Amino acid sequence: MSTAGQCPEWIPVNINEHKNVWVYIEIEKGHIHEASLQLLGKAREVANKVNSELVAVMIGSGLGSLINEPGMYGADQVIYVEDPRLETYYSLTYGEALAQLAMKYKPEAFLVAGTMRGRELAPYIANNLRTGITADLTMIEVDEKTREIILVRPPFGAWQLAHIRTLKRRPVMGSVRPNVFPLPAKDENRKAKIVQEKVEELREPGLELLERTEIKGSEEMPIEKAEILVSGGRGIGSRDGFEMLKKLAQLMGGTYAGSRKAVDMGWIQHERQVGQTGKTVRPNLYIAVAISGAAQHVFGIREAKRVVAINNDPNAPIFESADYGIVGDYKQVVPELIKLIDEKKNGKK
Amino acid sequence: MGLNIVLLFKYVPNTNTVNVDPNTGTLVREGVPSVVNPHDLDAAEFALELREKYGGKITAMIMAPPNAMKGIEFLLGMGVDDGMLLTDRAYGGADTLATSYVLAEAIKTLEHYDLIITGQETLDSSTAHIGAQVASWLKIPYVYYVTEASLDNGSLIVKRQLESLIESYKIRLPALVTVLMHSHYPRPVTLENKLKAVIKKPVKVLTNNDLKLNILCTGLRGSPTVVAKTEFISKIPRKKEIIQGKSPQESAAWLVSKLNEEGILN
Repeated sequence: MSTAGQCPEWIPVNINEHKNVWVYIEIEKGHIHEASLQLLGKAREVANKVNSELVAVMIGSGLGSLINEPGMYGADQVIYVEDPRLETYYSLTYGEALAQLAMKYKPEAFLVAGTMRGRELAPYIANNLRTGITADLTMIEVDEKTREIILVRPPFGAWQLAHIRTLKRRPVMGSVRPNVFPLPAKDENRKAKIVQEKVEELREPGLELLERTEIKGSEEMPIEKAEILVSGGRGIGSRDGFEMLKKLAQLMGGTYAGSRKAVDMGWIQHERQVGQTGKTVRPNLYIAVAISGAAQHVFGIREAKRVVAINNDPNAPIFESADYGIVGDYKQVVPELIKLIDEKKNGKK
Repeated sequence: MGLNIVLLFKYVPNTNTVNVDPNTGTLVREGVPSVVNPHDLDAAEFALELREKYGGKITAMIMAPPNAMKGIEFLLGMGVDDGMLLTDRAYGGADTLATSYVLAEAIKTLEHYDLIITGQETLDSSTAHIGAQVASWLKIPYVYYVTEASLDNGSLIVKRQLESLIESYKIRLPALVTVLMHSHYPRPVTLENKLKAVIKKPVKVLTNNDLKLNILCTGLRGSPTVVAKTEFISKIPRKKEIIQGKSPQESAAWLVSKLNEEGILN
């Protein structure tokens, strides 16, 4: 095991030269992506524990005053590159540029928000640096003795957590699921040291963006923003069955979601999937309707404040992960809930 | 003319049949059959549609223990042209970097390739790393989450989907794309394709005697990351107040009063 990660074809790494915790700041539609800010909060804790600085890394064109924001969320330093070649996000050019910066500054950790772009970008950077990468991490631990940063992720099955060490290479790299960590408080007066950097050679992306359009019809509330989620699983039985859940959700000011099964059956869109292969959500109230409660699903609702389960199988594992459970047929229970809540909202009839 | 396509896939335990021991919370893995990663089947369908439109051939490639041959056979049954199994003890215990290295080196041995296609992620570990890593080794352009592709004067035009954006790109070949999960519905295996494969025997098995890679760069030794330990995930403490055997009206009223008490419904 001691030989792990020592391929002689890789540029050698001296672990002791690597310092500071880096967070890549993703910019989307002229704003910093919330997932990157959430990550700054967690990375701040890690930087404190390893006694080093938290560095936010931003690249692009026309960054303007955005470079001041990471400081307000806890960064000690902002390293940014302003370059017209980086105006459009291309996986390959962004990956090359960020890998070049990391090669120059030698961070000990490099964290990327696991948005769809982040998940596309991070493994490319890691590979160019010939370092390891851990996807979807949910915890970051620091060994008190060695100050080594250890990334923790749920592997196959979701009940067990894998602690992943990067033995001989740096930076320790990971992508972090959006919404696993809360948004840190913003301090408008807090300032980071701002450092402008350049990238010299940048390979042609080999890609040309032809068109970019917003997905229409997503006027429905995104599940990660909802305070109340009504979520359906295999037991819903049909796409029509979701209408009832939508109605209940709407009445409560929330929105609907579903399990992997509901997506596989084509009843709901993947973007509404909760769980290990879907999204992590942190609502006040999560109502799991006809969801059996596979580990992979329950994983996505760990951060929910209250969980309600409605299922006609009293042995469904979801009841183990619920605050309140109703054993019964959702087709009978949900209409009653709709009636009661409607009366409460709109006065007794 | 035509596209030479490499389809990268993984052979994974079928999580749909895996059960969790309710007492220990551990997985019951015994006797769990393996399947071709379902998201790679979406990618296979995507590849087959491209081949039907433009001609060419598809090589299914995997680095895995020998039993993954069954996965290649399944893809041949779907209509893939040939297969390559990269298997060697020295490749065992690899993380995604060491896996992608072997795949990239094997791709380099091919006479010619235009397009590498793989699924968005795997069912068992869902890292979505391999695509970008293979692209990094080969220094070729790559795009994730592709839903459609067509050829235009030797370049590939693709559409891809992010959380709230649809983008189209023109990509110089050779390139790598990953296919958005659920964007394609894999066709069934046919007897005709299976028979064809039995006659042609189109699968190559390569070991490290063939690839001749430095074994310090493969498998466990070539992996920067190691799993230091695993632990049970702590369960979130929940109240577990359950109502059973009551009418829907009573049950609903009970729940609404509980939620009211907590101020959740206000």
